Amino acid sequence: MSEETTPLTELLAEASIDLDASAASRDEAIRLAGAGLLAVGAIDESYVDAMIDRENSVSTFMGEGVAIPHGTLAAKDSVKSDALSLVRFPAGVDWDGNDVRIAFGIAAKGNGHIALLSQLATVLMDPEKAAALRAAETTEQVYALLESDEDE
Amino acid sequence: MSERTVTVASSVGLHARPASLFAQAAAKVGVPVTLTNAAGKSVNAASILGVLSLGIGHGETVTIAAEGDGADAALDTLAEVLNTDLDKEE
Repeated sequence: MSEETTPLTELLAEASIDLDASAASRDEAIRLAGAGLLAVGAIDESYVDAMIDRENSVSTFMGEGVAIPHGTLAAKDSVKSDALSLVRFPAGVDWDGNDVRIAFGIAAKGNGHIALLSQLATVLMDPEKAAALRAAETTEQVYALLESDEDE
Repeated sequence: MSERTVTVASSVGLHARPASLFAQAAAKVGVPVTLTNAAGKSVNAASILGVLSLGIGHGETVTIAAEGDGADAALDTLAEVLNTDLDKEE
């Protein structure tokens, strides 16, 4: 791989991980994912509203109980640095009819999101890894699952 | 087997919103369609995860393929989706 891609594990700070959250609504879940990005100063607060705008436009549900809320193109200026947050909802969240267990908040400038999403999707395409991620209870487990295995 | 080679028009590439719209369209055409990127990696076009995993950027060339009854019509529909800038939302 010659492309300069930042590993997911480097984009996801421990302060941006919440493995035991609950949310009564999709929007509340998105705000929690946004809070994880705010916690590391990756975004301005206005980005969180843009994440909800985006979700109203098209669902970011990816399958495997995972959603990837992120802002609109117009909100790119609210992104200070590329980052990822992870919020796990053991009891699930009703996400426009889908059962979401994990929300990855995504902040990306420029085209950084393409490589980021590609890495994330590659992990989730392995049903065993996706299931392990939904069940993860420690940050160590999360980091081990998100380790890049692009060499395979 | 029918094939179309298409250049991705979406200004940010085939990521969340365009990928989701494309995969939804692929799921509706009635025949299984495969999507292959320039590096030769193939996925089920109806899988959002699969489409995203290819990491396709704006202006990249992809190949869609299908076989059986309705394959050509399905590919025409999906080629049209790829030819559209799906990021235009405002």
